[in-house]
Amino acid sequence: MIINLQGRKFSISLESSAAYFLAFLWVLPLIYALWAAFHPAEYATRFELFAPLTLDNFATAWEQAPFARYFLNTFLLVTSILLVQFVLCTLAAYSFARFEFPGKSIAFGLVLIQLMIMPEVLIVENYTTMSNLGLVDSILAIGLPYMASAFGIFLLRQTFKTIPHELEDAAKIEGCSLWQILWKVYVPLARPTYVAFGLVSISYHWNNFLWPLVITNSVTTRPLTVGLAIFGAPESGVDWSIITAGTLLAVAPLLVAFLLFQRQFVQSFMHAGIK
Amino acid sequence: MSAIELQGVSKIWGETTAVNNVSFSIDQGTFAVLLGPSGCGKSTSLRMISGLEEISKGSLFIGGEDATIASPADRNLSMVFQNYALFPHLNVEENILFGLKVRNTPKQLQKERLKKVAEQVGLEQLLDRKPAQLSGGQRQRVALARAIIAENPICLMDEPLSNLDAKLRHIMRVEIRALQQRLGMTVIYVTHDQAEAMSMADKVILMCDGKVEQEGTPEELYNKPATTFAAAFIGTPPMNLIDPVACGLDKKISQNQQDNFLIGIRPEDIVLSNENGLKAELISADYLGADTVVTAKIQDQEILVRTPGKVTITKPTSTRLQWPVKSVHVFDKSTGKRNDNIEVLPI
Repeated sequence: MIINLQGRKFSISLESSAAYFLAFLWVLPLIYALWAAFHPAEYATRFELFAPLTLDNFATAWEQAPFARYFLNTFLLVTSILLVQFVLCTLAAYSFARFEFPGKSIAFGLVLIQLMIMPEVLIVENYTTMSNLGLVDSILAIGLPYMASAFGIFLLRQTFKTIPHELEDAAKIEGCSLWQILWKVYVPLARPTYVAFGLVSISYHWNNFLWPLVITNSVTTRPLTVGLAIFGAPESGVDWSIITAGTLLAVAPLLVAFLLFQRQFVQSFMHAGIK
Repeated sequence: MSAIELQGVSKIWGETTAVNNVSFSIDQGTFAVLLGPSGCGKSTSLRMISGLEEISKGSLFIGGEDATIASPADRNLSMVFQNYALFPHLNVEENILFGLKVRNTPKQLQKERLKKVAEQVGLEQLLDRKPAQLSGGQRQRVALARAIIAENPICLMDEPLSNLDAKLRHIMRVEIRALQQRLGMTVIYVTHDQAEAMSMADKVILMCDGKVEQEGTPEELYNKPATTFAAAFIGTPPMNLIDPVACGLDKKISQNQQDNFLIGIRPEDIVLSNENGLKAELISADYLGADTVVTAKIQDQEILVRTPGKVTITKPTSTRLQWPVKSVHVFDKSTGKRNDNIEVLPI
């Protein structure tokens, strides 16, 4: 018994030290970025505890690249995707969850297939489509392929299905139309799911890089991620202090949001376990 | 003019017929109870009246107007659901006012009605609570308030008390009945609990296998059950149905066609006696407090007897059973229908 208990203690401590180690590895780049960004360039690769602090790097980065414009682009991108996703996914999920129509299972099968395909696979196809629509190099083109999110449809459908039929019946008796039932019963009751999906969507599209890189080629459309990559590319000269300052500028809003909404974030990713 | 009238209403799902050619009418201001075992079609009938379920065949009249295909919102009725169906994201006040808001009732009128209704059901102190913060009985009151605030003439209730404990259920029974009489509402109330039906109803509609078995006042159902099903369903414990031939009673019941009948006697009509009556053996006793339900046996037939006070039976004891002639009900063995034409002889 005692040996067993000690063995268990040992394995638990082994597990937690491994977890600490991984967490440390994960946070290391961020710590380095913080160090380099707040110190003059000569301390970028040198550790000295009392090195002078400075904000100059941020000022330089902000002046060297149109970060304000990039922020605006990313903000427009993320909010427009999210708004359209909410509308489309809500309507699709409502019909999948509560209505019978011919071809329903086939349509839902297609949605599930979309869930299993990585969007990166379709880059060429998507580019052709955007080009045919004449949308290349626009913010809309970055967002359009993601707006009918299969993940969102699936998530909301599952949530709507858990809402008791009795509530819908009660709303019908009280005189609600189908739209009112959706708006007054389903949407408010699915609020935690909307929050979860919103957080997942925002963080995904804030960080999305490959597709925006392919589809945009001007300052007025580039999101932060692409702008940052160009800013930090070797051909523009490597100055770690300024690059890290730019990076921190780019991730700051999401980082702050993460710290504020930490609990909802973790819950939402658990909730959205299939992602 | 009746408030609600069903004419040959059926509900058919593919192969199964849940409600089969049901007709009844309910007068204005009546407390009507749809009673029956689970799966008898009573809830389906109620949902067809509410419009939540389509009527497959037949027609429905509400207030004299054909409402067979009217939408639930146009039927001028309200409904109380088994699990209360309160909106969890709204507080008590918003839940009660839900329907009035949907129908864009003026704010002033909403306020007046809310005040009145909250008082009637005793919810004044709880208006800003969420349903999750309420007890079962309070939730039931909110559901009731939501049903009566629209001042619809008809209120449908689908087993509204089945989630409450026995004591609360009794209190709510009395309150619902009092509320119905004060407001003069027509109520259709679905339940499987015959005691609930007997204590609340002006009119009981007893259903079985999708058909109406018997309709009438609680007294009629108790005193003159139309079928063996009605006889066995109403009353606790249910009526004894005895095959006279198997008990050697054939000569004592009637002179003719003895083997085609069943006789029914309520446990509370049978008296245990030492001198005369039918010979029987007492097997066991169930003590209920005010009285005891004794299981007796005549040959192979079990007969329940309700007798006052406490009776203890440790080993089979022989006794005699007696009952008055007027408490014997006679049913057709093959159809199960009541037959009042048979003359019953005293034992």
